[in-house]
Amino acid sequence: MSPDIPDEYLQTFVIECRELLEQMEDALLIIERDPENPEIINAIFRAAHTIKGTAGLFGIDYMVEFTHVAESVLDRVRSREVMISSALSALFIEVHDHLGTLVNHVEEGTLPTEEVDARSKRLIAQLTQYLDTPITHEAVPSSDIAIVVKPKMNPVQGDVVKTDYWHISLRFGLEVFRNGMDPFSFVRYLSSIGQVVQLVTIIDAIPPADEMDPESCYLGFEISFNSDADKITIENIFNFVHDDCVIRILPPHSKISEYERLILELPEQEMRLGEMLVKCGSLTPTELERILRIQAEQADEEDAPLLIGDVLLQQKVVSPPVIEAALEKQKHIKETKKAEANLIRVDADKLDDLINLVGELIIAGAGINLIATREKMADLFQSTATLSRLVEEVRDSALALRMVQIGGTFNRFQRVVRDVSKELGKDVDLVITGAETELDKTVVEKIGDPLTHLVRNSMDHGIEPAEVRLARGKPVKGTLQLSAYHDAGSIVIEVSDDGGGLNKARILSKAIERGLVAEGANLTDKEIYNLIFEAGFSTADTVSNLSGRGVGMDVVRRNITALRGTVDLDSVEGQGSTVRIRLPLTLAIIDGFMVGVGNATYVMPLDIVVECIELKAWASNEGDEQYINLRGEVLPYRRLRDHFGIKGETVARENVVVIRYGEHKAGLVVDKLMGEFQTVIKSPGKLFESGKGIGGFTILGSGEVALILDVPGLMGLIEHERT
Amino acid sequence: MAKTILFVEDSASVRQVMKTALAREGYEVVLAVDGQDALTKLNGQKIHLIISDVNMPNMDGITFVKEAKKLPAYKFTPIIMLTTETQALKMAEGKAAGVKAWIVKPFQPPQLMAAVAQLVMA
Amino acid sequence: MANEQQNNRIVIEGELTIYTVTELKDKFLGGLLTNDELELDLSEVSEIDGAGLQLLVMSKQSAIALKKTLLITGHSPVVAELLDLSGLSGFFGDPLLMAHQSKLEGKSL
Repeated sequence: MSPDIPDEYLQTFVIECRELLEQMEDALLIIERDPENPEIINAIFRAAHTIKGTAGLFGIDYMVEFTHVAESVLDRVRSREVMISSALSALFIEVHDHLGTLVNHVEEGTLPTEEVDARSKRLIAQLTQYLDTPITHEAVPSSDIAIVVKPKMNPVQGDVVKTDYWHISLRFGLEVFRNGMDPFSFVRYLSSIGQVVQLVTIIDAIPPADEMDPESCYLGFEISFNSDADKITIENIFNFVHDDCVIRILPPHSKISEYERLILELPEQEMRLGEMLVKCGSLTPTELERILRIQAEQADEEDAPLLIGDVLLQQKVVSPPVIEAALEKQKHIKETKKAEANLIRVDADKLDDLINLVGELIIAGAGINLIATREKMADLFQSTATLSRLVEEVRDSALALRMVQIGGTFNRFQRVVRDVSKELGKDVDLVITGAETELDKTVVEKIGDPLTHLVRNSMDHGIEPAEVRLARGKPVKGTLQLSAYHDAGSIVIEVSDDGGGLNKARILSKAIERGLVAEGANLTDKEIYNLIFEAGFSTADTVSNLSGRGVGMDVVRRNITALRGTVDLDSVEGQGSTVRIRLPLTLAIIDGFMVGVGNATYVMPLDIVVECIELKAWASNEGDEQYINLRGEVLPYRRLRDHFGIKGETVARENVVVIRYGEHKAGLVVDKLMGEFQTVIKSPGKLFESGKGIGGFTILGSGEVALILDVPGLMGLIEHERT
Repeated sequence: MAKTILFVEDSASVRQVMKTALAREGYEVVLAVDGQDALTKLNGQKIHLIISDVNMPNMDGITFVKEAKKLPAYKFTPIIMLTTETQALKMAEGKAAGVKAWIVKPFQPPQLMAAVAQLVMA
Repeated sequence: MANEQQNNRIVIEGELTIYTVTELKDKFLGGLLTNDELELDLSEVSEIDGAGLQLLVMSKQSAIALKKTLLITGHSPVVAELLDLSGLSGFFGDPLLMAHQSKLEGKSL
């Protein structure tokens, strides 16, 4: 690992890899059904490509090596040399998973274990089968190697020149400036790996004013260069111009014959060039004289010098149709990419900060409002009204920023369904609708587990084995549907299957057996179905690998209730079941029910309120004042006044708010019922950590603070006192 | 006067690392997350060198280069493209668009630093 | 950019680079045609590259061909550095006068 790369960059890299792997997985799951789709293939390629590139930058060799092979295979898929088969897509799912393991190692800063290494090797071996020629696993060379025309050797001339320095001859192409290159920047770079002993700028090629295009480059250099660097290093400096430049590099003590060839190959007149070489110090006058004499002797021979032009032409050749095809393809890609979401990534904490600040703003605004009212300043009052309307709009937009599409979560189930199908030997298709439906990020994060359980449950217990389906005249392939939509300020998520549906009689008998319902109780179909959400209920005749994990549907319901959501189930025997989850759009706003105790105001979530009754009408005068008899139901109750230690006189008419949370019902005794109230929840912070049953607070229009009851906590306290 | 480099790359971690490395060498660095973003950075400020990834969302590197070359103030700005050895077609296309300098991914910071210095000394 | 021209003296401000050479070429040649002696003041050049230097060479060669005099004065630091690097100071034959109070925070190119 490169030592100078800070940890936090590595963390960014880890997060990035995970996102890319997620995209890769999504694409891999689609590719099985749509193996020809170039977009999907490209998405997979791009993920591998980016991971490899970035891993290389961080010097994570084990990841580069592994991803390189995968990328090469994907490249062949892209160019249609290799077709996606189910075997290949399965292999890539393994590759994907393995990359996930490697990312974990990066995150932990550990090297892969032997086992992981062995898996890398095995997968590389499997991938390599898709490549014609085995590829080397080394990182590829960093850039083009300059193709330097090797001088043809003349009959051996034993003599070497005296100079200890390299000699570099450069003639730049006309396009060099226009390509953004400056010949002098290469000279400056030379100085960083050695010493430019002498440099002669060749200006002979600059044409007269009227023919000269000032944007064309006519320059050249003869350079005497002192350096310990090797030839490749020096050649590489000119990589970026080697396409259209004449570059000759002669090592120290080169043969006189090589200088002779050099003089032949360069465009300037021999004598002139010779002078410049002498000026550079690369040749002594005596050496030059010898060269010129030899050349005169050879003048008759037909030993034509290498045609540089031809060589350069070969290097530059790109046939027009290739470019045309590339452009066409480019256009296509550009068009489709436009459709990709234009997103920026924002730290969720920043959004929370924003929402908190907006909350403060509302409080501040309410304060001004109060003053305006108190001082009877009509003008000010009017402006504060405008202000608070705007602030509320800001609050709503801020909350909207937290909304994300549920599609990402849904797509993960492609994988779950695929894996579970294989595990159970059932063929199941996943159909997703409403992927674009938005809900709060916090909710999205927490809904994954319950959904996984529901999906597995449907596949395990809902969808019948193939032979049963055939016998029932259904398609062999089962269908599982995940859908989402907005409904009356909530989001509804449905998990439905076309399986056997629930067996009412069996549920009922099991419920009676477990003592969940009384024998002979008169229940609607829906009530019967929803019994499966009761704790400790399981309808599976055999405990399979999937459902035998001790996690029942009751846990699903508990998780969803914790999100202030509800869950229920519909089923038609023989045709399938639908589990419907209803969730609030956001956890930051609740529809509250406001009550007053003494001078204090409390808010509780409206959806837990069952009814409101007058205490006196139901409470018996005897007893310990802990229970009321509500239409035959024993209901524990608690005075909020006592609970929060509020002083002052009890009002004459006390009210009971009957709340229901999960399985439990209880009554909360309050002074005043103040009605419904939509409110932004502010975190209670350190102030209320004592666990007295406060879940947060909110600011009322009056500027007063109202406390939000932590109903699960409060219920726990009441339950605790009962036992 | 420090030389200014526009670095266009969709990977946040590559951007972070290369910005640090380039700044350490004394270059001013302007970052962009894709071709579209990069075009907005070509707002008249002097850019001495553009380094761009090829494969990016919204607008890829080649398209970006073609657009940049249309702008009078940037048509001669040298460009280094980051690519993989597997993108021969892209390279042909890039060369046609006027890109002469290519760095093959994966690369280590010193490789890119050398290439940058060959074109623009800090 | 050359934005000050009084008869036989052209002051070049800003870039003397590939971005400005086309415009400057006409300016220089125009100056040479109308004057027997032309002075190019480079003390305010903030950036110069090979294309800029090449233009200066061409202008000098043109002056010689026209039997006129081209003087380069007030080399800004970047101009001086490039002339030194190219080894062409002798070709121009001008005394290397550093601009004594350059407004530019000139460093090496």
